[in-house]
Amino acid sequence: MARLSFAVIAALVLLLGAARARAETVVVWHAYRGDEEAALQAVSRTYEREHPGVTIDLLAIPHDAYSAKLGAAVPRGHGPHLFVDPHERLGFYLREKIVAPIGDGLDDATRRALDPAALAAVTLDGVAYGVPIAGKALLLFVNDALLPKAPPTMEELAALVVPGGYPLAYEATSAFFHAPFMHAFGARMLDDADHFAFFGDDAARSLDFVRDLSRAGAVPEEASGALVKQLFVTGKVAAVISGPWLAAELREEAKGLRYHTEPLPIVRATGNPMRSYVTIEAAIATPIATPAARAFARWLASHDAAVVRARRGRQAVTTSSAWEDPQIEADAELQSFREAARTGVVTPVTPAMRAAWVPANQAILKALREDMTAKDALLQAKHRWEDTMRPPPPPASPAPGLALGGLVLLGLAALALRRARAAGFAAELRASMPAYRYVTHAAITVGLLVVFPLAAGALTSLFAGTRDAPVYVGLANYLGILTARGGDLLGHGSFYLTLLVTVVWTVVNVSLHVGIGVAVGSLLSRSWMKIRAVYRILLILPWAVPSYVTALAWKGMFHRQFGAINAILTWLGAEPVSWFSHFSTAFAANVATNVWLGFPFMMVVTMGALTSISKDVLEAAEVDGATRWQRFRLVTLPLLKPALLPAVVLGAVWTFNMFNVVFLVSGGEPDGATDILVSEAYRWAFTKDAQYGYAAAYAVLIFGLLAVSSRVMSRRLGDPEAA
Amino acid sequence: MMANVGVEPRTQAAPSAGTSAGETPVPVVAEKPVRCAVRGVTKAFGTTPILRGVDLEIREGSFAVLVGSSGCGKSTLLRLVAGLEEADTGSLWLAGKDVTRLPPRDRDIAMVFQSYALYPHLTVKDNLAFGLKLRGTPAAEVASRIREASAMLGLDALLERLPKQLSGGQRQRVAMGRAIVRRPSIFLFDEPLSNLDAALRAEVRVEIRRLHDRLGATTLYVTHDQVEAMTLADTLWVMNKGLVEQKGAPLEVYERPCTRFVATFLGSPQMNMESGVLVTKDGATYAEGGGLSVKVDEDRFGSALTRGRKVEIGVRPHDFVPARSGAAACSLKVEIVEALGFEAFAHGWLRASGPRIIARLDAEEARRVKTGDTLPLAVDPTKVHLFDPETGRALDAE
Repeated sequence: MARLSFAVIAALVLLLGAARARAETVVVWHAYRGDEEAALQAVSRTYEREHPGVTIDLLAIPHDAYSAKLGAAVPRGHGPHLFVDPHERLGFYLREKIVAPIGDGLDDATRRALDPAALAAVTLDGVAYGVPIAGKALLLFVNDALLPKAPPTMEELAALVVPGGYPLAYEATSAFFHAPFMHAFGARMLDDADHFAFFGDDAARSLDFVRDLSRAGAVPEEASGALVKQLFVTGKVAAVISGPWLAAELREEAKGLRYHTEPLPIVRATGNPMRSYVTIEAAIATPIATPAARAFARWLASHDAAVVRARRGRQAVTTSSAWEDPQIEADAELQSFREAARTGVVTPVTPAMRAAWVPANQAILKALREDMTAKDALLQAKHRWEDTMRPPPPPASPAPGLALGGLVLLGLAALALRRARAAGFAAELRASMPAYRYVTHAAITVGLLVVFPLAAGALTSLFAGTRDAPVYVGLANYLGILTARGGDLLGHGSFYLTLLVTVVWTVVNVSLHVGIGVAVGSLLSRSWMKIRAVYRILLILPWAVPSYVTALAWKGMFHRQFGAINAILTWLGAEPVSWFSHFSTAFAANVATNVWLGFPFMMVVTMGALTSISKDVLEAAEVDGATRWQRFRLVTLPLLKPALLPAVVLGAVWTFNMFNVVFLVSGGEPDGATDILVSEAYRWAFTKDAQYGYAAAYAVLIFGLLAVSSRVMSRRLGDPEAA
Repeated sequence: MMANVGVEPRTQAAPSAGTSAGETPVPVVAEKPVRCAVRGVTKAFGTTPILRGVDLEIREGSFAVLVGSSGCGKSTLLRLVAGLEEADTGSLWLAGKDVTRLPPRDRDIAMVFQSYALYPHLTVKDNLAFGLKLRGTPAAEVASRIREASAMLGLDALLERLPKQLSGGQRQRVAMGRAIVRRPSIFLFDEPLSNLDAALRAEVRVEIRRLHDRLGATTLYVTHDQVEAMTLADTLWVMNKGLVEQKGAPLEVYERPCTRFVATFLGSPQMNMESGVLVTKDGATYAEGGGLSVKVDEDRFGSALTRGRKVEIGVRPHDFVPARSGAAACSLKVEIVEALGFEAFAHGWLRASGPRIIARLDAEEARRVKTGDTLPLAVDPTKVHLFDPETGRALDAE
């Protein structure tokens, strides 16, 4: 009897276990919004219905954080089984070991059903890492009211007259948007050997061509994506170059707008079509992808799923059979998306391509602003690309480092031993035990949150290569930085030049912060000022608003054509200033923003310190014969000093590292000239081929500089007693 | 008129409002010239009147003390003279010059603050030098004046210290030194001793008077402390409710207070007050009331003494003397005896529900007197003060 019941229970356990094993969850990350997200949800529900026991867990991740979240989660086994991402980042993901071969996710039948170019895009060295699901490329959006049909050539389009507006708008300073022009002139970004090729006569002619468009007033200068959209929605531009994402946004934000899409025109000068770079979106497998996950990826590319994604998600799907669906076939907009994707050039995925965007962008900007000839700008871009792509320093023997570390440890041990042997040490230790207990938790917290990351960062600076295959290079990163990588010591992007800019930046800012802060603070402390409380709140506001919001607002105000500041200048009869094309004006724009952000702090410190200055002392000075200015200079200011000094040191450190303002307002423009050390370090880590070790060496140098200079500053400015 | 009580008639004094700044106020009598004159000054903060028409003058080299209870406007008056406040109406004259609208730096004054108001960030030496340097005094001159002041005040060892490294008394001396080095036309002191402890206060008080005599400086000194007022002043100006109530030499003011306020303000313990009437007994005039019957000085009060007139009778505690039986002016029912060693004060009353009366006893008597005793007391007629109950004015000052 007992035996039987045991058998029953065992069988139940087994059955339940099996049932649980079958109920499998596939985690999928994506960055879709709106219709695309709805379509993905719809096909997931369908899949779940058809495959009982499988749950598709969709997680929408904001686009900006996408790659960083993947990089953080996947290597630790916490990420998704599949994620939807443009194919361009595959090379990077592969190096970071975020992706795995898709294997049976792409069976022969699926392969046959897919667009071969899209398949090629997700295949690296013969191995496929994802299932391509949609292609996206640039095309022409035409405002029906202004232009019923776009002319066949770019030259004719640009020659149209749009009163109070422009015939064409696009993000002219972006290499991605310039690519169709580049291709039309027979140039390309990389050559067959995967080297930077965006230079030479053809490339320069493509830039001259768009510069002429800009000169002729056919396109707005330095338009951002948001501005392009705004101009299009408000009917100020006849046509814009953009991608399917604009259609999605217009569906949400400008329902009444009548427009249609067309392929990009040809450039009459060469007779060539403008071919966009094509992005292939794919369901990419991570190393933890299960067979169920791969099956779902395969299903995403199936006819049924593709039809839903095309109809509902408005995607130019890569599954050929879906385009035979009558409804899709009749959809002119979808057809134009597909046409653009089919005729475009699939974006290369190599690290060389990733490293090419920034120098290309900079060159385009310089050529359009006519700071340099297109030819020179592109040649400079080539050098910068080479600088970024230079081989990592040779591996160094860790022996000297280890030996030094060992020696230091030995020395510390010897010291500890000597201390422990000293008379009375044990008793002292026992007596101090309670004190140690009180500080333990603080020490652990500080250790984990401050010391450990600092040490990890410092250690990183001794390595090159990827996160998973770091190569110990000793002090080569520092050597590279301090010798300007063999280039001119005060040349573009050299540590010393950036340091000089950073120091000037800090000195100018802190002086203005203190000057304005003290002046306004003193004014607000005057008893004759009416409604002081109101002024005080108004003046503290800049401080209370998140700094990136303020920075972006100021950036907008400094825009060459649409900014408030140039509008005021024009109204006053002055020439508008192209703020970000010269070092002095770009630097001034940064300083204006940062002063706006920084003076309230000094003002608050001043007002606090002023309350501690006795009225009698000021009256004594008055009786002693001091004028108002003398009272301020000889009495108030010296008495403010003790309170201002820590604030100045703090302000100097903040300003030295004021990444937000530099990155968001000038973005280093012109050409990285206004970059400070932190924003430069950021570029090495995140826009120049992920050279974390090199960036970490920058960070360690910044830390060292700040530690030394704030000590010196405290000493030099400290009160006479401390000295 | 209350406003001008105790102030000499204007004709004798400095310029009227219309006089130009160039004319020196020349006194008619052969006295030292007036160094500081305040003419009909009023001042209000918002709607609260602080000074209600004050006249004041200080002759060269004299030590004038402004005394009064807190809120009487004495500090405001000092600050007006310093130029730290501006008068609403009236004029201010320093060394014959109209300074009513001049800033402090053009008045040639030096001021010692109650809080000392030393510059916390400067050493003693720099504190002393501050005003001189502002006026562009040559360095050698600055050094010699600091040396002189420092020797006078015993600051030599402190010159390199910061104010926070000094004791209260030392800071006080530095504050005075800062005034002295300036050699101003007038020194202004705003309750300079109130932040010191009692022993130090007595010491510094003497020092201030000695310095004044040595420097021959003109001084205006504000205090609420009657001991300081009595001991320091050449001329005492008693202020009450924004007006000068009486001026004069300290003893004169003490002995012949012209109002009830002045009488009770000066002297410690306070003057005893009883309501009464004037009667005639045995051909002499007596003031009687509240258990008190005292003969009054007819020479002093003269025609003001009309029979049946209601008066306030004032007798200082120190003016009571033990009476032989039968000649007593009153009998004090003793409630408590405060023995101070060299003297004592008997507190009590003359009749039930009457005001509390204090009488001074000498140490010998105090030993014999106990709580509950009845003490017969007599008063010298010249020490009896009479005030009008309505106006509060002394009968001899009407």
